[in-house]
Amino acid sequence: MAVVKKSAGSYTFKIVAYAVCILLTVLSIFPFIIMLVNATRSSAQIQQHALSLIPGHNLKMNWSYFASQSFNPFTGFKNSIIVACCATLCTVYFSTMTAFALVAYEWKLRKPFFTFIMAVLMIPAQVSSIGFYNMMYKWHWTNSLLPLILPAIAAPTVVFFMRQYMIPSLPMEILQSARIDGAGEFRIFNQIVLPMMKPAMATQAIFSFVTSWNSLFMPSILNTKTEKFTMPQMVALLNGDSYKTEYGTVYLGLFLTVLPILVAYFFLSKYIIEGVALGGVKG
Amino acid sequence: MKKVLSVISALAILTSFTACGGNTSDQKDDTSSKTTTAAKDDNSAEATTAAKEDKGDGKKETINVWSFTKEVPGMVDKFLELNPDFAAKYEINVTNIPTTNNEYTPALDKALQAGGKDAPDLYCAEAAFVLKYTQGDMSNYAAPYKDLGIDVDAEIDAAKIAPYSVEIGTNPSGDVVGLGYQATGGAFIYRRSIAKDAFGSDEPSKVEEAIGAGSGNWDKFFEAAETLKGKGYAIISGDGDLWHAVENSSDKGWIVDDKLHIDPKREAFIDLSKKLKDNGYMNSTTDWGDAWFADMRDEGEKGVLGYFGPAWLINYTIGQNCGSWKETGEKDENGEAIKELDTSIGTWGDWAVCTPPVGFFWGGTWLLCNKDSDKKEAVGQIIDWVTLNCTKDGLQYMWANGTYDPKNPTKDCVASETVLNMSDGTLDFLGGQDMNEVFIKGNAYANGKNLTPYDEHINKAWRDQVTQYTEGNKSREDAIKDFKLNVEETLDFEAE
Amino acid sequence: MKTKLKGISYSKYGYLFSIPFVVAFLIFTLYPTIYTAILGFTDCKGINGPENYHFLEHPFENFQKVLSMETFKTSLKNTIVIWIINFIPQITLALLLTAWFTSHSNEIKGKGFFKVVFYMPNIITAATVAILFNALFAYPRGPVNDFLISTGLRDTGYNFIANKMPSKLIVAFIQFWTWYGNTMIVLISGVLGISPDIYEAAQIDGANGVQTFFRITIPNLKTVLLYTLVTSLVGGLNMYDIPKCFNDGGPDNATLTASVFIFKQAFSGKWIYNRAAAASMIMWVIIALCSAVLFFIMRDKEQIKLDKEIKKAKKEAMRASKGGLDQWQL
Repeated sequence: MAVVKKSAGSYTFKIVAYAVCILLTVLSIFPFIIMLVNATRSSAQIQQHALSLIPGHNLKMNWSYFASQSFNPFTGFKNSIIVACCATLCTVYFSTMTAFALVAYEWKLRKPFFTFIMAVLMIPAQVSSIGFYNMMYKWHWTNSLLPLILPAIAAPTVVFFMRQYMIPSLPMEILQSARIDGAGEFRIFNQIVLPMMKPAMATQAIFSFVTSWNSLFMPSILNTKTEKFTMPQMVALLNGDSYKTEYGTVYLGLFLTVLPILVAYFFLSKYIIEGVALGGVKG
Repeated sequence: MKKVLSVISALAILTSFTACGGNTSDQKDDTSSKTTTAAKDDNSAEATTAAKEDKGDGKKETINVWSFTKEVPGMVDKFLELNPDFAAKYEINVTNIPTTNNEYTPALDKALQAGGKDAPDLYCAEAAFVLKYTQGDMSNYAAPYKDLGIDVDAEIDAAKIAPYSVEIGTNPSGDVVGLGYQATGGAFIYRRSIAKDAFGSDEPSKVEEAIGAGSGNWDKFFEAAETLKGKGYAIISGDGDLWHAVENSSDKGWIVDDKLHIDPKREAFIDLSKKLKDNGYMNSTTDWGDAWFADMRDEGEKGVLGYFGPAWLINYTIGQNCGSWKETGEKDENGEAIKELDTSIGTWGDWAVCTPPVGFFWGGTWLLCNKDSDKKEAVGQIIDWVTLNCTKDGLQYMWANGTYDPKNPTKDCVASETVLNMSDGTLDFLGGQDMNEVFIKGNAYANGKNLTPYDEHINKAWRDQVTQYTEGNKSREDAIKDFKLNVEETLDFEAE
Repeated sequence: MKTKLKGISYSKYGYLFSIPFVVAFLIFTLYPTIYTAILGFTDCKGINGPENYHFLEHPFENFQKVLSMETFKTSLKNTIVIWIINFIPQITLALLLTAWFTSHSNEIKGKGFFKVVFYMPNIITAATVAILFNALFAYPRGPVNDFLISTGLRDTGYNFIANKMPSKLIVAFIQFWTWYGNTMIVLISGVLGISPDIYEAAQIDGANGVQTFFRITIPNLKTVLLYTLVTSLVGGLNMYDIPKCFNDGGPDNATLTASVFIFKQAFSGKWIYNRAAAASMIMWVIIALCSAVLFFIMRDKEQIKLDKEIKKAKKEAMRASKGGLDQWQL
């Protein structure tokens, strides 16, 4: 009797769970389908019905319009890849390192330093951007990819996450035994701590890759030369022609912009889904 | 707390230190940016093939062109193509930043302020923000046209440039610093079949009579709306259409003597909008929304008589959305669906233009030259060809006759009346009507004295409150009160 | 003497490993932030304001002005309302999905696929999402209105975008929809950080899925949960791009959030930098106070215990390392 009851309960549970998951899947994929479909439609079709599930025949034309612009889409692609990859690496590596410093060592300024990181994390970003771009102009640090990459080294949110993640999951004994084996602190970090942090790093890598890839305001203000444009800037350029926007091309551009993130995401999601790290180390 | 403070002060000291470090690194970067400029020059030389062919004596000077669309850079390329001598001496470096999220103006401002080799020589401004560069905060960067080797006054007279365009392009000391190539004076663009049904004739003169063309008020227009309602039609698609006409026909702009001024004509818009909504004289669409476009091909709730707009609205908007472009089902060699015009469907050819009740203009691009540029003469030649040359060799003649881009032969309305007079503005789309007759009048009517640099925000705030009132969400008094409060708190202008 | 030196030699690494962060932080974050904070006490206004400004006679003039502004009060209310409407379902759904996807007793097939898919809305830029939703709720005709009319729920279309509460709900929904996947992934990665040994032990003790979730997952997830709460709070109170792109804070300021307000002060054409800066600082104080409360609530039991454990562990570690090294030296 008890067995029957349990299986009935798990049966309803499964129905509910799958229903919710499928509904959410539809909700999540929907905009991508719209983007893909619109990338194949003509501007006039999109203006008449912005949302449609029936593909058009304009994909090739939209692409040729996209490729015939004053900019080179591949340059934008390359710039975006450079910026997003470097920024992601910087964010993840240095944030983990900082979190490690906060968790693994006793030092005098540790607590105030953490409080301070937390405080700055909370400042609204809209206006400190005024200060940032005024400073970049003062230093003539425009039309360079570096101002889009280097600030990623200091990512308070990521440090906070890494710290929170590390506190319960980094066993001090492992550090000890490594030290006994004669490993230097830097090596301990690179060879023992980093692999253990994989799920957390993969998670934050995705977030920072997406943020960096999608950012538009700062690149637009700092980069004025076409050969330094990022993908989102180029798409915005298509969109900016206020009298005759080629919507199909804009959607194609948006879709092409999203593709690399999807690839990066599918690649990194392996770590999140499988949860490689900790069990292995502990066991 | 003490600890935190001590950390902050320590950090502050460090900051000033690193700031110095930053200065040395910026010099390094300066050199690297020079090399990238050189690389870029190669690119743009490729883009302008004419420039490359004539590359004889090696060194060329670079003209930096800043724009927010590729329209003006395209014209500059065309100029180089037509003037090999010029192309042998100069090459063009285009900076194209979109206005989508308002990125163009901050970047342009910074580049003008920074000066130097990379500063813009020739830059463009759109109607929404042109006043900032001709009369506002940034106007001291714009060089008067007369300093570019252009005999402005004589040429404006000869070309008969639309007066509103000159007014907007004149700086506070009375010099012309910016002019455009388009004229965006407005007309009423209406459906012939609906006019025939409602007024008994589709002749522009008859429709003008029915809607009170040139009367300066909206009385006849609303009488016509009532007539149309009787026949089951709406007179316009949404109140946004009316707003474009109202906005630019008012006597004064939003800001007078540093105070918010609500021009009686603009205030009256709130009542006009309510009247349109309550009586069902419109389809209540939003401009640039799906339903607005649907009305163009007669698939809206009710048939719509017309739209207020300049020539570009015909070319790029109504013409593309009139529903007469049919896919043939065949494909060309590239696998593209071939589209053909089928006048049995859609509204192609069922349109005409006539003079609106009030004069207005909508949009436009102005060209300016940096006063610090060391290539003023050269920039002057380009500007002159684009904005003032009224011969058949000038840009405007090509622009008006559809010969500028053979692949895309749209005729547009240009700033020079002289050019319009010698051009043929007949369009099949308008059932063979010559649009220039109407637009010349429209350009003359338009008034450039009621713009302010704050219009974008204030217009949005005003239309937002008007919608709240017409939707019945608040009273007329509250709507106006909230509008004033919004402007006061966001832009720091008190109401009069 | 020797042992003392060794004690210091480890704390040195704490500083050393923080250097890259601190340097980048000073240059790219702190300096612009302090610059902004200072503007709040000046008369910096207008396009050329940042070139030439002076401190005010009454240093808090801008702050008083901002606090007295109706628009600011509205924006503050909106921010809180929209955040709450979005956050409660968001965290609930994220926790539920986390429980399902990490459950050891009830395997859900294809959970890897679902995990990947649910994050996808977060990938698209806010501008695109906003345009999409704007088209969905278009008036008088649009997919949603067509649906309402064709199913007979309404006779005519409803103007969602011109009405205040529906606009707030739509913005909150977009916010919810873009971020629940993100929150879920953070929580899942937190759960994966919990040692499987604990779960095995629980299974042996015969705990069911619900018990395991509340007795083991949640307590062990506390540090990550705190992260989620704080970043959601900070992100929510700084909510900017969706309300900005959806309808520019409209209609009638219904979706005007504090960040949109700040942006409008600075960039609507009058460049009122000083007031924007003052408003930023006010928001910062509000967010910091709220976060402090969260820290306090989450801290009082578990965190302190954890801290103690860590300290203890470290002491032990230190002792062990000393011992180890001594041995080694011997």
